[in-house]
Amino acid sequence: MNPIIQVKNLSKSFGANVVLQHIELEIEKQQVVVVIGPSGSGKSTLLRCLNLLEKPEQGEVWIEGRSLMDKKMKIEEIRTEVGMVFQQFNLFPHMSVIDNIMLSPMKVRKWSSSQARKKAIELLHKVGLTEKAEAYPSSLSGGQAQRVAIARALAMEPKIMLFDEPTSALDPEMVGEVLAVMKDLANEGMTMIVVTHEMGFAREVGDEIIFMEQGQIVEKSSPQQLFDNPKHERTREFLSKVL
Amino acid sequence: MRLEFRFDIISDYFPLFMRGTLYTLGISLSGIILGSILGLIIGFGNMSKRWYLRWPMQGYIHLFRGTPLFLQILIVHFGVVVMVIGKTDAIVAAITALALNAAAYTAEIYRAGIQSIDRGQSEAAYSLGMTKSKVMRYVVLPQAIKRMIPAFGNEFIVLIKDSSLVAVIAAPELMYWAKSANAQYTRIWEPYLAAAAIYLVLTYSLHRLLIYLERKM
Amino acid sequence: MRKAWLIALVVGLVLVLASCGAKEDKSGSKNDEGGAEVKVYQFATDATYPPMESMDKETIVGFDIDFLAAVMEEAGLEYEIKNIGWDALLESVKTGSEFDGGISSITISEERKQTYDFSIPYFESTNMILVKEGSDIKNAQDLKGKKVAVQGATTGDKLMTGIMGEGNNDLKRFESNALALLEMESNGVDAVVADNAIIQEYTRNNPDKKFVTIYDRENFESEYYGIAFPKGSELKAKLDPAIKTVLESDKYKEMYKKWTQSEADMAGLLSAQ
Repeated sequence: MNPIIQVKNLSKSFGANVVLQHIELEIEKQQVVVVIGPSGSGKSTLLRCLNLLEKPEQGEVWIEGRSLMDKKMKIEEIRTEVGMVFQQFNLFPHMSVIDNIMLSPMKVRKWSSSQARKKAIELLHKVGLTEKAEAYPSSLSGGQAQRVAIARALAMEPKIMLFDEPTSALDPEMVGEVLAVMKDLANEGMTMIVVTHEMGFAREVGDEIIFMEQGQIVEKSSPQQLFDNPKHERTREFLSKVL
Repeated sequence: MRLEFRFDIISDYFPLFMRGTLYTLGISLSGIILGSILGLIIGFGNMSKRWYLRWPMQGYIHLFRGTPLFLQILIVHFGVVVMVIGKTDAIVAAITALALNAAAYTAEIYRAGIQSIDRGQSEAAYSLGMTKSKVMRYVVLPQAIKRMIPAFGNEFIVLIKDSSLVAVIAAPELMYWAKSANAQYTRIWEPYLAAAAIYLVLTYSLHRLLIYLERKM
Repeated sequence: MRKAWLIALVVGLVLVLASCGAKEDKSGSKNDEGGAEVKVYQFATDATYPPMESMDKETIVGFDIDFLAAVMEEAGLEYEIKNIGWDALLESVKTGSEFDGGISSITISEERKQTYDFSIPYFESTNMILVKEGSDIKNAQDLKGKKVAVQGATTGDKLMTGIMGEGNNDLKRFESNALALLEMESNGVDAVVADNAIIQEYTRNNPDKKFVTIYDRENFESEYYGIAFPKGSELKAKLDPAIKTVLESDKYKEMYKKWTQSEADMAGLLSAQ
């Protein structure tokens, strides 16, 4: 089976600052890949290259066999297949929760309002926030907002979900509710790439862990292998600081 | 200064002042509406990554913000309008000059408003598969416009006051009739203070309306 | 280095301001050789009305200016003239606190006489119509229903308001005759009505414009300019005899010819005294 995501020799720099160097990566369908590493190691940039929020300078990215570097490719079409959850939630503050979720299915997928509403309610039920359907984002707690953001991304029925430090902006007591939703999603077989500092989640849910440092993938292996018996000195050093 | 205020002058000219006020409102309103539309185009051009779109728009903004409106009115009236329609037309020239001028200012309001919206908003919208225009239409502009309302309100208030300058090309608005009354009676205070009072009523009503709108949104 | 520039700039500014201030000091009163204070009379004008009064760079020139000079010399009085604009002129001559008189092609009218004292008439003027060659306009009454430009607050404005009706948008009042004439050049109006001196000066300077002038003595009566004083001014008594002397001199005819390039017809003016 072909990998759903394939990255070849991906490099990216912001001015003189090189953030990604020659990244090679393959992710299979239904895999949950967790990316860890110190801040500034390029984790988020790698994630953002996968839906072209950042433009790679060199290398190739294929999603379901379609090249993102192809000039004829419509990036909007690929983005409908790749959902993304941000550290700062980025809910649309001028819309109610349910409108946040319904917007893209209606405007991009051209669903009818009733179809989009049905889907939205279903997803709100899934993240446990049906009672907040008519609320506005400003009235939600961080954990609730992030769960809505996950529901919003899922409303497009993506094949891949990217999570960019989804719990980093949350108060500690709210981290659990968001990770629980993500765990459910993983159990349902969603292909996920998660950038996080939650090592417990990584070990429990991840099929594969990637340790990144200075724009490079240092080590990539199963959770048991990476956490219990890291091959590289740099991985060991990092883990000793965060565990 | 002798304090004798001839109210008969004001009552004599009252119908003309009212008619002039309608013209003032009409000219200013057309100016701000057309100016806002043109300003949208210029503002977006100014934000473009392409230099051949950005440079002319920046030039436009500098030109109209850097020269007196009074001169712009004269040039539009005796130059631009005559070139286009072959004769002068004070109303057309007044609206055109005010709209061209307002466009330069509203372009900057759009730019400031749009750039004030957090990047995360458009990134979230892009990640949901929206095209650039959909991101603008459904996510960025609705939020930006709310932030632009006070600035637009200010621009409209400035425009109402500045519209008095079009009296120079004999557009029959409020200031024009105030000058006419002044000419007929060779009296300064009565017509000009009456005109000032009407301008104040207009701008203050608009000010209240804007506060109401801001609260509503 | 930067400080040196700043100091130079400040010193420069101070010098400029000081020299301006020095000029200002001359107004008001002046010592003559004997040391006694001599009153310097202040006159106001609106120098936007060539050939009667206009600016030549920084100097005010025109018929009125030369005429006032002759009259003040005849009366043996010191004076200064300042260009302050029409509205300011009317207002400040009315109160009399800053200016002792106004000379600016001011037509003597019954209405104005209620607010000002006027000298004896010193200039005869008639309004004139300027139209395009081949126009069907033959007299002032033909202007009804046409678009007409005038300078606001002039007698031309008043006459045309009378003919066309108050509040008529087709009568366009401009800040100056120059703008009114430009409006006509730009095909915005069918005619301009203004003082004969103005219209004649314009057609003389623009022979290529294919405009023709119309006199309409029936609808446009002659009017006379006078020097305006505040009500009850003692200056009128001092200047009227001097004006009379100048009017009867060859000097008047010379300056008339110099500024209007036509011969003075004194009959109307002298009979109006």
